[in-house]
Amino acid sequence: MEENGKMSEADVQETQVQVRFTTKLRDEFRVVSTPFAVPSSLTRYGLSEVINALLGRDKPIPFDFLLDDELIRTSLEDLLLAKNLSAESILNIEYIPAVVPPIPKESQLHDDWVSAVDASLASYIVTGSYDTFARLWSVAGTCVGVLEGHTDAITSVSVIPTPVSHGDNISIVTGSKDRTLRMWKVPTDNSSSIKTVKPTRCFKGHTSSVQSVAASPSGMQICSGSWDSSIMLWRTSEDALEPEEEEIAKKRKLAGPDVDTQLAETEVSAKATFDGHTQCVSAVAWAAEDYLFSVSWDHSVRSWNVETGANTSTMSCSKALHCLSVGGEGSALLATGGADNVLRVWDPRIVGVVAPILQLTSHKGWITSCKWHPRSTFHLLSASHDGTIKVWDTRAKVPLYTVEAHKDKVLCADWWKEDCIVSGGADSKLSIMREAKFNL
Amino acid sequence: MGKVTTVKRKLRSGGVATPAPQSDSDSDVKDDLKLDEESEEESPSNSDAEDVSDSDVFVSDDEEEEDSDADDEVENAMRALLTANGAGNSEDSDGDDSDYVSGGSDSEFDDSDDEGDDSGSEEEGAGAADNNVGGKVVDSTLAKVSEENAGEGNGTGVKAVEESDSEDDGELNPRNTIGDVPLEWYRDEKHIGYDKDGKKITKQERKDQLDAFLSRADDSKDWRRLYDEYNDEEIILTKDEIKMINKLREGRTPHEGVNPHEEYTDWFEWEDKGHPLSNAPEPKRRFIPSKWEAKKVVKLVRALRKGWISLEKPKEKPKYYMLWGDDLQTAERTANGLAYIPAPKPKLPGHEESYNPPEEYIPTQEEINAYQLMYEEDRPKYIPKQFDSLRQVPAYSDYIKERFERCLDLYLCPRSRKKRINIDPESLVPKLPKPKDLQPFPTTCYLEFRGHTGIVCTLATSPSGEWLASGSQDGSVRIWEVQTGRCRKIWEMGSAVKQIAWNPNPQISILAVAVENEVVLVNSETGPEEDEANLLTLLTVVQKPKAVEDETPLTKWIQHEEFKGIRLRHHHVVHSVAWHYKGDYIVTVAPDANTRAVLVHQLSKQLTQNPFRKHHGRVVSVLFHPTRPFLFVATKIHVRVYNLAKQQLSKKLLTSLHEISSMAVHPGGDNLILGSKEAKLAWFDMDLSTKPYKILKNHSRDIRSVAYHKKYPLFATCSDDSTAHVFHGMVYSDLLQNPLIVPVKVLRGHQNGIFDCEFHPKQPWLFTAGGDEVIRLYCN
Repeated sequence: MEENGKMSEADVQETQVQVRFTTKLRDEFRVVSTPFAVPSSLTRYGLSEVINALLGRDKPIPFDFLLDDELIRTSLEDLLLAKNLSAESILNIEYIPAVVPPIPKESQLHDDWVSAVDASLASYIVTGSYDTFARLWSVAGTCVGVLEGHTDAITSVSVIPTPVSHGDNISIVTGSKDRTLRMWKVPTDNSSSIKTVKPTRCFKGHTSSVQSVAASPSGMQICSGSWDSSIMLWRTSEDALEPEEEEIAKKRKLAGPDVDTQLAETEVSAKATFDGHTQCVSAVAWAAEDYLFSVSWDHSVRSWNVETGANTSTMSCSKALHCLSVGGEGSALLATGGADNVLRVWDPRIVGVVAPILQLTSHKGWITSCKWHPRSTFHLLSASHDGTIKVWDTRAKVPLYTVEAHKDKVLCADWWKEDCIVSGGADSKLSIMREAKFNL
Repeated sequence: MGKVTTVKRKLRSGGVATPAPQSDSDSDVKDDLKLDEESEEESPSNSDAEDVSDSDVFVSDDEEEEDSDADDEVENAMRALLTANGAGNSEDSDGDDSDYVSGGSDSEFDDSDDEGDDSGSEEEGAGAADNNVGGKVVDSTLAKVSEENAGEGNGTGVKAVEESDSEDDGELNPRNTIGDVPLEWYRDEKHIGYDKDGKKITKQERKDQLDAFLSRADDSKDWRRLYDEYNDEEIILTKDEIKMINKLREGRTPHEGVNPHEEYTDWFEWEDKGHPLSNAPEPKRRFIPSKWEAKKVVKLVRALRKGWISLEKPKEKPKYYMLWGDDLQTAERTANGLAYIPAPKPKLPGHEESYNPPEEYIPTQEEINAYQLMYEEDRPKYIPKQFDSLRQVPAYSDYIKERFERCLDLYLCPRSRKKRINIDPESLVPKLPKPKDLQPFPTTCYLEFRGHTGIVCTLATSPSGEWLASGSQDGSVRIWEVQTGRCRKIWEMGSAVKQIAWNPNPQISILAVAVENEVVLVNSETGPEEDEANLLTLLTVVQKPKAVEDETPLTKWIQHEEFKGIRLRHHHVVHSVAWHYKGDYIVTVAPDANTRAVLVHQLSKQLTQNPFRKHHGRVVSVLFHPTRPFLFVATKIHVRVYNLAKQQLSKKLLTSLHEISSMAVHPGGDNLILGSKEAKLAWFDMDLSTKPYKILKNHSRDIRSVAYHKKYPLFATCSDDSTAHVFHGMVYSDLLQNPLIVPVKVLRGHQNGIFDCEFHPKQPWLFTAGGDEVIRLYCN
């Protein structure tokens, strides 16, 4: 209040705006709900200073401000003009703790480009690389497992959720340019020595490079998209050899030169194939146990009913699409990135939707990866060929922050443990960044 | 009948030719003649009325021979006579002569008259006896006769008759006095007019048709009965009158007393009088229309029709005009371009310059002070002053200055008007759709493929679009992952790579690389796994029996141990290589090999053929038709299209280019683009013509490569000037519609020239290979 008063005195000419601050934070961070007159030239930073002054905190906490569920990114003056509001009306501004750029914590060097990362487990990060190996990294930042078996670059990795990876084992599925998918079981003993893991199953069926894999929420099924423009559905369960499921019961030992490694490997064929795309299926994602989305280079986003194999809806844009993430509001929004610098957010719930509901432009290169925040419904990250990772709030048109994560192309990125971002790139690094957290 | 007609003709000709001898014993006759031939002088005659009876007898002899016709016909004819007269009332009585000469319709009318006359003369004798009408009746009848004449020619008749009636037979015929008014005025009245005393003459009741018929049947004289509409009475002609009519018709004198061959008396004593009257007969020319007049009339008519003569009144000049205003408008009025521009007129003096101007012109002292504060330009040039007399006016101080300025004005005045062509430059630009509406096409560079250490010369994409192959002068061939720009594989060829071609068959993922005098076929290892074995057999050289080998084989097929491929060793340096769309044949160009410049190799049989015995010029590029068995062979100035099935030349394209550098065929196969070293691009529509459909000079330096997109209506050229131009090239399936070519984008970014460009097979993306060792990917 004092500061506010000082500022008014200092610059009497400046126009004032009546502002009432609200928040959903704890009482400790609440300010009085009476309207304040603040200079209209204030931006987010100024407003944050005001709040910190009101709270009387020694260490200022950065706050972000919402007006009508939109983040304030300009001065109040411009905001009034843009929203066509009267300067005399009282603005109800909600303040939330700001998201601050994460600090690069550590980076692990690979032998080759890091093409895929999955950080859905809190204890491990799984990466796939062009050197044909997938790796398992512990929280400590050491490589605890190397998954050997593919004969060509790995394009995609996915951790299969718990029901399958029961016990101490983690189940991982990887897709590769050698046209196969492989499943691995990694025992989670706490030894820090590097284990070399052999694949347990090999999913064959694609006639061209596998571009993406995704495990269903239950962990029972895997789907994969490939350059042969088909999507294939596979079973993960060990008891796939039940007599009634004969269509997937093709089990034979692979005769190969390396008999030892192949001994445990079981060859499995696809449970179902979804045709519809006309070009490379670049990403697949599960929305529910029986419902999945796919994006393709043929510019379309398609949704599939897993039970019937029917293509339930198709949305198209004008660019080839590379990545897909399901999440956001009600876990129903789609974020896609493609062969341009626009991150598109789609709402497939709107019937007959043809255009994305949100187009976020800030990158300077192709978007290679995008992920919704696992908890927050507003935040998503995008990684691009321009070497940056940007974190977006769907309530603002500009990114919350940009991280220069890699010196070369960023090929993959994921959220880890809600407050970290992991990313892999063409500089062969897996970089881990941790967001500064405030105890609010 | 025919006889009567001739009689009548005689009458006519008599009337004209021998007017003079006709007597005027009877005033009626005289009148008639006077009417008929007005210009003629009256000639004295001494004929008597008694002669009529003679002629009567004479005529009546004929009557017996004539057959009697139907009475009503006669009556009709008579009536027609009268009505014709009635109608003729209003006509002008002049110009009768000309009427005699004119037309056929009259003669028709005559015929009908004749009938009546003929039959009329039939019963004349009886009629004359019965009717005691007397001489006066004869007069009136004669009037009728004259009416008849009028019916034929002039329309005077009735009036004249009436006049004569009133003059001679006033007491006898005290009939209508209405004069020469249209009878229809009285049509609806109960009277027909007024008599001499001014009393109304009531209309007589007309007999009805039945009575008329009965009376006709009873009365043999009925045919002589006439109805006089004017007097509303019926007249019965006497025999004498009929006779006279007949005589007139026959062209004889109406009375016996008239001597047609009278002595000619020369009334003019012209011989000794010395005056110019001549009795020479009228010359013929007086009677025939003038030829020259006719010509003159034709000319006038023509002039009128063509509008040379306007009948409108000439516009009157305005009475008052601007005395001074005219000069300034001279320039506008001259229609042709070089208009005379008069020098600007000096300003005329006004009241303020008078030596004794009106009070209101003289500025007050304050105004003069105010002038001092104004800028010099705004200040008035002349400040009016008042003088008592003209004598006191001093010399004008600014005289020299003003004269000088005036001279300057005249000197600097523009002398002629420059005609400015007022054309909107926008209208000269052809109407093309905006590039914005022709999306998608490559616009921005998103990826760079780095790794080569020499100029990247050639590019090839895999049919799926997943991989890109590039060949460089550093001797390496690289395969790149399109999505990430990662180099997947490198082959070191050992020498500069000239060209690469990726097999268009997705099952056979083989690269053909032209290096030096070899074409190396290598497995790109990107195809489906099942086909790998097949590829392995394809890429293994089968040892042929020695017998097959002739002394100088076209090429040697040698196993390439290092790359597990095949070398096709030529005798000369191979510059270009291209696959057939089915992926089994390769065509290679070794321009130095003269007759063996173009060789076709079959991969499956490992055979080489030389399809041409001779080439007309140095072969630059050879391509297969995308769908049909044709081969395009581009030499430096021509493109020849060969039909491979028929083994003959199908077409020769006249390019008008000096040095072709590259060629690309539209996926439809009917269109072709050529790039030339003089920086020109030529589009051929082979259905249209063997000459270029369009030639574009878009680059500033040599065009290195041209390319078509397989799916989108796009093509691109790249050049030594380090730009790649992207065009929208829509080929319509409708043969009538010419291809639409719109330049849409110039792509920049390279240095040292662009050596090859290649479209992504499925996306609207363009790869360019630059002299700066970088490959760039431009996306939409």
